[in-house]
Amino acid sequence: MRNSRLLLRSAPGWWLLLAVPAVVLLALLGAVHAAAAEPQHLAPGGPRPLETSCVSCHAQLDDALLEPTRHTGDDIHFLKGLSCHDCHGGNPAAGADGDPEAAHDRKLGWTGKPVRGQVPAFCARCHADAAFMKRFNPHTRIDQYSEYRTSVHGRRNAEGDERAAVCVDCHGVHSIRAVSDPRSPVYPTRVAETCGTCHADENRMRHYSLATTQYAEYRKSVHARALYEGGDTSAPTCNDCHGSHGAVPPGVENVAAVCGSCHGREATLFRETEAKLKLDLTPCIQCMVCHGNHAVSPPTDGMVGVGADSTCTGCHVEEDKGYKAAVRMADSIHGLVERLREASDRLDLAERAGVEVGPDRFALQEARDQLVEARVLVHSFDLERFLIAAQKGIAAADAGVAAGKRAAAELRTRRAGLGLSLVIIVAVIIALALKVREVDRKPAT
Amino acid sequence: MSPATPGPVPRLMAWIEERTGLSVLGELARKKRVPRHRHTFWYYLGGMTLFLFGIQVGTGILLLLYYRPSASEAFESVQFIMTRVPFGWLIRSIHSWSANLLVLAAFVHMFSVFFLKAYRKPRELTWLSGALLLFLMLAFGFSGYLLPWNTLAFFATQVGTQVAGAVPLVGPFMLRLLRGGDQVTGGTLTRFYGMHVAVLPALATVLVGAHLLLVQKHGMSVPPAVEKRRSESGGAPLSMPFFPNFLLRDLIGWVAALGILAALAALFPWELGTKADPFAPAPAGIRPEWYFAWMFQTLKLLPSHILGLEGEMLGVLGFGAGALMLLLVPFLDRAGEAPGRWDRLLLACGWAVVAFMAVMTLIVYLPAEG
Repeated sequence: MRNSRLLLRSAPGWWLLLAVPAVVLLALLGAVHAAAAEPQHLAPGGPRPLETSCVSCHAQLDDALLEPTRHTGDDIHFLKGLSCHDCHGGNPAAGADGDPEAAHDRKLGWTGKPVRGQVPAFCARCHADAAFMKRFNPHTRIDQYSEYRTSVHGRRNAEGDERAAVCVDCHGVHSIRAVSDPRSPVYPTRVAETCGTCHADENRMRHYSLATTQYAEYRKSVHARALYEGGDTSAPTCNDCHGSHGAVPPGVENVAAVCGSCHGREATLFRETEAKLKLDLTPCIQCMVCHGNHAVSPPTDGMVGVGADSTCTGCHVEEDKGYKAAVRMADSIHGLVERLREASDRLDLAERAGVEVGPDRFALQEARDQLVEARVLVHSFDLERFLIAAQKGIAAADAGVAAGKRAAAELRTRRAGLGLSLVIIVAVIIALALKVREVDRKPAT
Repeated sequence: MSPATPGPVPRLMAWIEERTGLSVLGELARKKRVPRHRHTFWYYLGGMTLFLFGIQVGTGILLLLYYRPSASEAFESVQFIMTRVPFGWLIRSIHSWSANLLVLAAFVHMFSVFFLKAYRKPRELTWLSGALLLFLMLAFGFSGYLLPWNTLAFFATQVGTQVAGAVPLVGPFMLRLLRGGDQVTGGTLTRFYGMHVAVLPALATVLVGAHLLLVQKHGMSVPPAVEKRRSESGGAPLSMPFFPNFLLRDLIGWVAALGILAALAALFPWELGTKADPFAPAPAGIRPEWYFAWMFQTLKLLPSHILGLEGEMLGVLGFGAGALMLLLVPFLDRAGEAPGRWDRLLLACGWAVVAFMAVMTLIVYLPAEG
C-alpha cells in the first residue's frame, strides 16, 4: 500500500519518463507512416533528378535498373522538377552518403517497383490530389483515377485482372510526355496506334473474345483521313468516342449521343424525330446502321434514295412511305447538285473570259448552304422540312445559272462591240492614211 | 450692195481672238516642222506617251465617280464598277492596260531619246523633265496598283514599301511615310489614293507642261549621225510640217493604240482577284508589276551581305545611283565637244542597262510560263 502511495506520489515523474519516449515513438511512427502513405511532395524547383543519388547509382547498373536514368531529359516528371524518390520513396540523401541500404529503406517509404495491378493507385497518389497538382498547373484535371475506375480497364483491374490496361500501358513508364507533345503515345495522332497495341493484338484480345479489326477499320475511316492526312488534331480518334481514362464501348442506346457530341445538329434532328413520332428508334436506327462505326466512310448523296449505294433500302421496302420519301429526297438532292454544278461551270467560264462574277459567286453560296442544310435535314426523316431547304437551294442555284447565262450574253455583247469598234477604228486609220498621203503630196508653202 | 455680214461662228472666233490672241498657237503649229530621216519613227513615241497619259486622266476621272478609298470599301467599289456600272468594266480595264502601255511607251521614248542623243545642248532640261516624268509614271503605277485592295496588290505593296525601308538613314522614315504606320493598312490605301489622284497629277501637270513647252521651244533633235551624213553629202535637211502632216501620223498611232486598248480590255479584262486579307499568309508567287520586276529580281539575287553591308541596302543604293545617273545623262555626255571613247562608253552603258533590265525581267517571267 505504501509502495503504491509512493508510486502515486511520484506519478508525475514516472508519467514523464513514460510519456516522452512514447510521444517520440508515436511521432516517429507517424512520420514513417506519413512517408509511406504520402508521396515525397517536392515542389517544382526542388533537387534536380541528376543531383540525387538515385540517378548517380542507377546509372552504373544494367538493364531494367539502368533504364529509368536514361529518361531524365524527356520525362515530364523529371522536367517538372520531380525525381525518383517523389514516386518511389526512399532516401536519396542516405544513398549520397554511400549507404544504398538506407536509401532503399521501406521504413522511409521506399516502395520499389509497384505491382502492375497497383499502378493506377500509385499514380493517383499525386494525380488525384488537387492541392498537389495545382502546384504544376492550376487547370489540370484530377479525375483520371476515378474515371479509370468506371472504365472496363479499371473494373477488370479491380477484379484483379493483371492483363487489364493500367496507366503505364498508354502513357509509358519513365519516358512519360505531356499529352500535348506530339511524341506522346496519347497525342491525338498516336492514340489509335496506342490503343491498337492491345486491341489489334489477337493474342491479347482472345482472352476477352473481342474483335481486333477496329484499328485497321479506323485507319480507313473519314475521321482517320481528317486526322492523318488533313492534320486536323480535333478529328476524332478512339478516346473521343470511347473516353480515355473512363474508356467503355458505347452501348447501342448512346451511340447517337457519342456521335452527337461532334455532329450536334444531326443528333438533335434525330432525337426530335424520335420524340415527334413517339418511337424508340434506339434499337433499329442508330448512326452506325447507315454510317458504320470504326470505318465511318465519307457520306455520299448516293446513301440517300434507293440506288445501289442506298442505306435507306436496308430498312425500307418498295411502296412503303419511307421508301417513297427516300426517292423524293434523292431526286431533290441530285437536282440541286446538278443545278449547282451548272451554275458554277457557267460562272467559271465567264470568269475565265474576264467577266467579273464575284457577286454572283457570292450569291451562289446560298445554294451551297442549302445543299448542306438539306443533307443535314435528311437526319430529321421529315420530307417536308427537307424539301423546303432543297427548293430554296434549287432556286438559288437557278439564279446562279441565270447569272452565268447573263455573263455569257455580256461576253458576246463585248465581243460584238469590240468587232464593231475595230471596224470603225480601221476605217478611221485608212481615212487618216489617205489624208496623210494627200497632205504629203501638197507642195510646201 | 453692202458687204456680207460674217456668220455667228466667225464672229465668235473673232471675239475670242480679240481677247486671247490664241491664233499665235495656230501660227506656231503651222510654222513648226519635224525633221524627216530614218529615225523619224521614234518621234511618235513622245506623242504616244502623251496620248496614253490623256487616256489615264480621262478614265481615272470616270473611276473616281465610284471608287471609295477605304480598306472596307475599295475592293467592293471596284467590283461594283466592274459589274454594275455601265461600261465600268471597260473603263477600269482600259485604265489598267493603258497604265502598262504608258509605262512601256515612256521607257521606249526615254531609251530612244538616249540612243539618238536628243538630250544634247540645249535640250538638257527637256531630258531632265522627261526623266522626272518617267519616275512619276512609275510612282503612278506603284500607287495605283494598291487601290483595288486585292490580295496580290496588298502583298506586292508590302514588299515594295519594305524595299523603300532599306534605304540607309531615311529608310525607316520613308517606310512609315509610305505606309502611314508600321504595316500596310487602310491608312496606306488612303495615302496611296491621295498620292495617285492629287499629288502625282499635280506634279505631272507641271512637268508635262514644262516638257511640252521645252519641246516646242527647241523643236525635234536630229541625231548627230544623221546631221553628220547630211553635212557630208551637202544636202538640205528634209522636214515635214507638224500640222497637219506629223499630227495626222500621230493620230494614226493614237487611233491604233485605242484599238489595241479596246481589244485588250474586251478580250483580257483586268482581273480583280480576291479581296486583301491582312491576316492571311502571303500567297506564293508574289511579284510586282512587270516594270518593277527587274529591280525585284536584282534584289532577290543579291547576297544577304556584301563586304559586310546588307545586300538589299546596297541594291537600293545602286538603284538610287542609277536614277541619279539617268537624270545627269546630258551632263555626262561630252560627245558634243569630243566625240570618241567617252561617247562609245556611254552608249555601251545604255545597251548594258537595257540588256540587264530585259534579262532580269525574263528571269522573273520565264519560269512561271514554263
